[in-house]
Amino acid sequence: MTDSRRQGALGLALVLPPLLVLIFLIIVPAVSAVIDTLHPPEGAGWTLTNYALILGNRVLRSDIRFSIVVTLAAVAVTFCLSYPLALYLRFTKGRLPSLLAVLFTIPLFVPVVIASFAMITFLVNHGMVSTVLYRMGIEWFPPLVYNATGIVLTEVWTTIPFAVLILGAGLQAIDDALIDGARDVGAGPLRTFVSIILPLNATPTMITLTLLFIGIFGSFTIPYLVGGNAPQMLGVTMTNYLTQYLRRLDAVTIAVIAFLIAAAVGALYVVSVSRRERHAL
Amino acid sequence: MRRLTGPWRTLAAALVAGAVCLVGLNGGTPARAADTVTLNLYIGGDTNIFDLWKKALLPAFTKRYPRYKANMVELLHDNGSEGIYAKILAAKRAGRTVDVDLWETTPGFMEQGIGEGLWVKLSDRIVPNISKVPADTLAAADYYGLPYRGSSVVIGYNSQFVKNPPSTFDDLVAWIKANPGKFTYCDPNTCGSGTAFVTGAIYRYASAERFAGKAYDAKDEAAWQPGWKLLKDLQPAMYNNGFHPNGNVAVLQLLAQQNIWMASVWSDMGLDWYTRGQLPKAMRFIQITPPLMGDDSRVMLPAGSAHLEGALTLLNWLLTPEAQTMVIDVVAGYPGIDWKYMPESVRQKFKDVAKAFAPWPNPKYLADIKRLWHEQVVGGAQ
Repeated sequence: MTDSRRQGALGLALVLPPLLVLIFLIIVPAVSAVIDTLHPPEGAGWTLTNYALILGNRVLRSDIRFSIVVTLAAVAVTFCLSYPLALYLRFTKGRLPSLLAVLFTIPLFVPVVIASFAMITFLVNHGMVSTVLYRMGIEWFPPLVYNATGIVLTEVWTTIPFAVLILGAGLQAIDDALIDGARDVGAGPLRTFVSIILPLNATPTMITLTLLFIGIFGSFTIPYLVGGNAPQMLGVTMTNYLTQYLRRLDAVTIAVIAFLIAAAVGALYVVSVSRRERHAL
Repeated sequence: MRRLTGPWRTLAAALVAGAVCLVGLNGGTPARAADTVTLNLYIGGDTNIFDLWKKALLPAFTKRYPRYKANMVELLHDNGSEGIYAKILAAKRAGRTVDVDLWETTPGFMEQGIGEGLWVKLSDRIVPNISKVPADTLAAADYYGLPYRGSSVVIGYNSQFVKNPPSTFDDLVAWIKANPGKFTYCDPNTCGSGTAFVTGAIYRYASAERFAGKAYDAKDEAAWQPGWKLLKDLQPAMYNNGFHPNGNVAVLQLLAQQNIWMASVWSDMGLDWYTRGQLPKAMRFIQITPPLMGDDSRVMLPAGSAHLEGALTLLNWLLTPEAQTMVIDVVAGYPGIDWKYMPESVRQKFKDVAKAFAPWPNPKYLADIKRLWHEQVVGGAQ
């Protein structure tokens, strides 16, 4: 009894520091920020005026739309490139896959700032890509940086390793016996993939998609360096409102809107996962 | 040799005693001078400013005044300035001395500090060389900040392609329209040289004085409308159909690669790049009329400094032609003292850019200019 109580106290003591950090540096400021946007210090009473003003601004609406579209595009491209790679690394044995497994993680160790500048040098007018195309006789090609294309390409480059790692972890969890069993009863590779691997890997896939969306949606460095003047992604918009336009309340309101969008995606994931688990039972 | 007798002996003894006393006193002064005083300098800015202090100003100062040593703290892009301000303010409230003897920082902290009475009020009584500084520059900061160097935004152009550079803002606009794709300015959210061009367009139709003062009324911003229209009309004639790069350096790079032939640039950065050979040989810099905006960089002396005498000696030395020439050589800045005190060669080098510059709008208007530029010029609002 005393022992278990002592252990409980020890556990509490161990959990307390991160818990206090979470409460005082994240939850309390976030809640007070939300209250500020709904109950402005100078205004009277509760009001949605701030949200109406932000959502009524055409430029900000286009920033929100732009952020969602760019994020979805980047997530889609990342996913389409990483899933085959993860499958290959999981189901092929040999020296080449193990070499690839090391190679593909390299972007994980390149700081985002450096990756962004590298992409700019690579894609800009008079850059590598344009020089190569020019040599091949192609004199006109669409601008690849300082616009949505640049953001998507850079986001994809930096997030592929992360996506492959999570998808790979999910694929590792699939029992080889199931796949061998499917093969024994005559299922081809496609049938095995559709009936065994895809359903069993659905939850890791959902986790990957959600994390990719939230990560890219909230990114700042890449859209700041590789993006254009307008429209901008919300990370850049928020920073401008806070540090350049000196409008803290507007910045916080945009942050709350961004949070709601990310939370909606998170909720989608929670619902789908819990539904799957209910079906499993 | 006759021996000293009687009163002579007394006198001699008195003289010797007096001499010993004098020597003793004199001996005291060198002994005190041997105690070196370390001045603590907090310098906010970019790496070129750190180099100016570390490699040029401070070695020359400590050589001239061996009594003093300097301990310099670098605040890159003024990061950490909040803490320095809090430290000075806390010491002042507690009635204690503070180990900040000189601080170069942004106008915002200077203004806040003036309100709190944190700085030493300067005058020619405590800093004799201050008489060489134009009086209106000193009055702009109420004699609390010492403007030891300056710079302004000017027009840089490649004389290989531009034979008749514009001399007025209207000429500049006409040139941009006549040469589509060969001009740009950086995104005002990321750099001062872009903000200056945008503000120049606004000042074309609204008086600078109205927005430079402390008063702020958002309603007055209606006067900016013609400026926004002008800038929006110029968008198709900008580099890459209206692209504005991020940061001053990105614009200089476009000039260096000859992607563009003309741009608004900071005088000190442009001249510095040119001197290092990073810009085409044919690059030239001019100020237009009405002039674009500029800044004086100021240093402040916290009133609670423990080494006031040393800090004042340093300030006074900063305003000598010797120190001012370093400002020009190292960062291609404008001198803090009047041009007439500078050597003829320096005046020649700067004759096209060393003109009066316009005042920036106050910080609140400046913030609105950046936001509205984003909405009205590139954002596609009505």
